Amino acid sequence: MASALRPMLLRQTALSAATRRAATVPASAFPSRVTPFQSTIVKNAGRIAAFHASSRRSLLPPGPQVIKGTVNDAVPVPDPVPTHGSYHWTFERVIAAGLIPLTVAPFAAGSLNPVLDATLCALLLVHSHSGFQSIIIDYVPKRKYPGAYKISLWLLNIATVLAGVGLYEFETNDVGVTEAVKRVWNA
Amino acid sequence: MNAQRIGVRALQQVVRPNAFSQNIPRLMLASLQTRGAATVKVTPSEAQTILASQRLQRPVSPHLSAYDFKQTWFSASVWTRITGGGMTTALYVFSISYLAAPLTGWHLESATLATAAASLPFAAKAGLKLLVTWPFMFHLFNGTRHLVWDLAKGYKRPVIHAGNIAVWSGSLLSALGIACFL
Repeated sequence: MASALRPMLLRQTALSAATRRAATVPASAFPSRVTPFQSTIVKNAGRIAAFHASSRRSLLPPGPQVIKGTVNDAVPVPDPVPTHGSYHWTFERVIAAGLIPLTVAPFAAGSLNPVLDATLCALLLVHSHSGFQSIIIDYVPKRKYPGAYKISLWLLNIATVLAGVGLYEFETNDVGVTEAVKRVWNA
Repeated sequence: MNAQRIGVRALQQVVRPNAFSQNIPRLMLASLQTRGAATVKVTPSEAQTILASQRLQRPVSPHLSAYDFKQTWFSASVWTRITGGGMTTALYVFSISYLAAPLTGWHLESATLATAAASLPFAAKAGLKLLVTWPFMFHLFNGTRHLVWDLAKGYKRPVIHAGNIAVWSGSLLSALGIACFL
């Protein structure tokens, strides 16, 4: 009889020990259901931080976190518009490539004739404008800083128009950009 | 076989280990175990706040300490933007000042600027020229390289490494040459 009951007794002993263990584990190991989720994050910050092996570098501190829609929405993919996409991209490259001969030629020829000089100024203006636009789009993103984004782009538009008028004045009243650079350079 | 032995035999039959009886303690324990994952009901606005606070914990995009500089790395790329932005600023400031010159009484005509430049000592002239020439040369060289990359060419790692060295040393040397000898 005793030999028959031994395994049962062993199991009961093991079971009671395990139950005691489960009952005496501190309550903090099981987050209470009433604890808000956020405070759980705060409590576990140290544990989470241990996974980030590298130190934080705040080169560009993160801006306000703007989330549109609900938490787990997919990213809205805008409709492809070639004038804002590939055409614009190609246009920028054509302008940039066109500037190479126009900026290098004066080194060989000494100066440019008025038409080429005006072309250089116009291309410089467009290249500068689109370059600064890209800078604003990258560093003052619309989704995070909608107000500053709009203001920056409009300030850039105004500055480009004013600079264009100024360059026109310089081209028509003075000796032209390349010739002026040459004179100042050799002064 | 007497009655007592029959009873023992029956008991042995009952407690003989089988898949069910062996798992009884585990099954009983399973009902006692609790997992750490708790779900909490939150309103959408609370969820947004939590997500925003979680995102603030993430590494910020130019995460320089995470870079492996031996891998393909367009080191000079940002300097194209910096030099371009600097030259654009200079161009805009000059041309807007030129436009405003009649109102402010400034003299920004090429003749006046040439006279002002002539009065500077050689070192100051060379320094100012270098300040103009290096950004220009760098932007020209690296901009050309970017145009080649835009044609989907030159992405092999040794080519990129050689290009980095060529762009930095080429722009510095040519800028020094132009500033001092032209």
